[in-house]
Amino acid sequence: MNSLLSSIAGWGVNVAIAMTALRTNLMRSILTTLGVMIGVFSVILAVAVGNGAKVSVNQQIATLGSNMAIVVPEPDSGNSGPRRPSDRGRLTERDGQAILRQVPGVNAVAPQIRNSVQAVTSGRSATTQAIGATPEYGTISNVSASDGRFLTQGDVGSAGRVAVIGQTVADKLFADISPVGQTVRINRVSFTVIGVLESKGSNLGNDNDDQIVVPITTLRQRLSTAATQGPDDVTLLFVGFEDEDSLLAGQKEIKTLLRDRYRVPKGKINPFTVRTTTEIAETTGEVTQIFQAVLVAIASISLLVGGIGIMNIMLVSVTERTREIGLRMALGAKRSDIRNQFLVEAAVLCIIGGAIGLILAMVAAAVFQKVADFPAPVGWDTALMSVAFSAVIGLLFGGYPAIRASRLSPIEALRSE
Amino acid sequence: MTALLETHDLVKDYVIGGETVHAVNRVSLSIQRGEFVAIMGASGSGKSTFMNMIGCLDVPTSGALLLDGIDTKTLDSDELAEIRNRKIGFVFQQFNLLARTSALDNVAVPLIYRGLGYTERRERAQAKLEAMGLGDRLLNTPAKLSGGQQQRVAIARALVTDPLMVLADEPTGALDTQTSLDIMGIFQKLNDDGITLIVVTHEPDIAEYAARRIVFRDGQVIEDAPVKSRRRAVSA
Repeated sequence: MNSLLSSIAGWGVNVAIAMTALRTNLMRSILTTLGVMIGVFSVILAVAVGNGAKVSVNQQIATLGSNMAIVVPEPDSGNSGPRRPSDRGRLTERDGQAILRQVPGVNAVAPQIRNSVQAVTSGRSATTQAIGATPEYGTISNVSASDGRFLTQGDVGSAGRVAVIGQTVADKLFADISPVGQTVRINRVSFTVIGVLESKGSNLGNDNDDQIVVPITTLRQRLSTAATQGPDDVTLLFVGFEDEDSLLAGQKEIKTLLRDRYRVPKGKINPFTVRTTTEIAETTGEVTQIFQAVLVAIASISLLVGGIGIMNIMLVSVTERTREIGLRMALGAKRSDIRNQFLVEAAVLCIIGGAIGLILAMVAAAVFQKVADFPAPVGWDTALMSVAFSAVIGLLFGGYPAIRASRLSPIEALRSE
Repeated sequence: MTALLETHDLVKDYVIGGETVHAVNRVSLSIQRGEFVAIMGASGSGKSTFMNMIGCLDVPTSGALLLDGIDTKTLDSDELAEIRNRKIGFVFQQFNLLARTSALDNVAVPLIYRGLGYTERRERAQAKLEAMGLGDRLLNTPAKLSGGQQQRVAIARALVTDPLMVLADEPTGALDTQTSLDIMGIFQKLNDDGITLIVVTHEPDIAEYAARRIVFRDGQVIEDAPVKSRRRAVSA
């Protein structure tokens, strides 16, 4: 320790002087540090939660599948003009077939009907979402069965009463036994479980495993389809593209095709919306970016207050120790020596506060992650940045008192009581 | 050989309430190496202001101050700090030791500003404290030392940089008679060893331990003569 101090010469001495001074007024030092601690704590937590939101959103988007467009019969919110219920369009399986045939770059279309259902086994029940789908749902959205099998063309053709259930549904309905081969009653219709979906986890409170996939034909015939109007109406279409370029071009093609098919007059808004995964990623990326910025901005206010606390205490410290400053000057301290002494003192206060704030934030983030099931990663870069940031706060807010101390005239300082 | 200290028409003015006060008014004198000078005068006579200027703590309004041949007028604040560090040792009336800091660390403070390493600072400080008879008090804080001991720590601190001269401002002002005699004994011994001493005091008895007495009144020197019946401290 001693040899270390002498090796970093002047700064080491200043740190030693600072530590002595801070120990002398221990309670005051702790309270001052508290301000910076809380500031750094909230900034790091804000960054962590913001990062978590990004991670979560990216995961969510990844579970949708890449290079995919989603077509829903909702009026395009991107267009201006009044929106009435009558603006809501229709979407059918034949539209999907037309898109597959006519839009270049499309390699699969997965029509879906989504419906809320009640699933029951002996003594257990679960309210979940039934997705009436085709095998293409599996290829476009990277959905597959981890146990048993996924839907086949045969299941759809024969409108078989078979179901592939999500992990959450499996847990709810079949506690200990393997669900495959078991019977489940969905809205009072018996289905045979042919597979369990590979888990996609949950993000932003949305459980991707809380669903039951059945053939679209079966759903249409056997389960209530209040959401649709006609015999081959669908809730939405997943359109898979070969690559990102064809996806970008295809978005427009799909709109044109559907406008033609439904003879939407010029100037009237689209009665359907085509969203690409790229777009969704961008939009949600922007939203989470703003979310994070707002969080960090609010948290920064507490850091600012902490910094002002540092400045206040350093000014008090300089006033209290005017005589000491005078003495040090008499003994040969240059202005820069005095300035550095107080700068280091402020920086030490801040770095200690920052380090404690960082540790507390990491603990809080871990707890948050566990309790709220929401990722809040604190990376080493955040850690490093926060300590550096608190040192900067120290230098910034300690700067004025330190310069004031160094400008004192030796004789005036010595004379002060 | 040049004088250790030379002043020519040294003036220090203060403006108080719109009125200019000549605290030091055209003082010219010189002090040689190895001298033991007592500067006397009533309060407000200008002796302390003069002391602060020759200690490079305060800058003259006009006139010249040559320290070891260097004209201090040309020096900036950093260079003055360096002069104070290398050429001058200070002893104050109220000792001015850092509280909650050991005697050893107090004595080592001037060496920090000379840029010496930790080990060397401690060794030098310890040697000076031992020379002051405080070898068994190295780690005591000022609160645990008597007034006389504190002043000896302060003297050790003044000497630790091996300065050209030691300036003592009322060094016995806060001490009882016996301890004052002890301190003056130490000063006489240091002077015998060749150290130049300038002591500011308002007590005539204390001034009689010096070899030369300079008396200030109203900012001017009214007497500058050798001490006739010089006292020797017995205890030294």
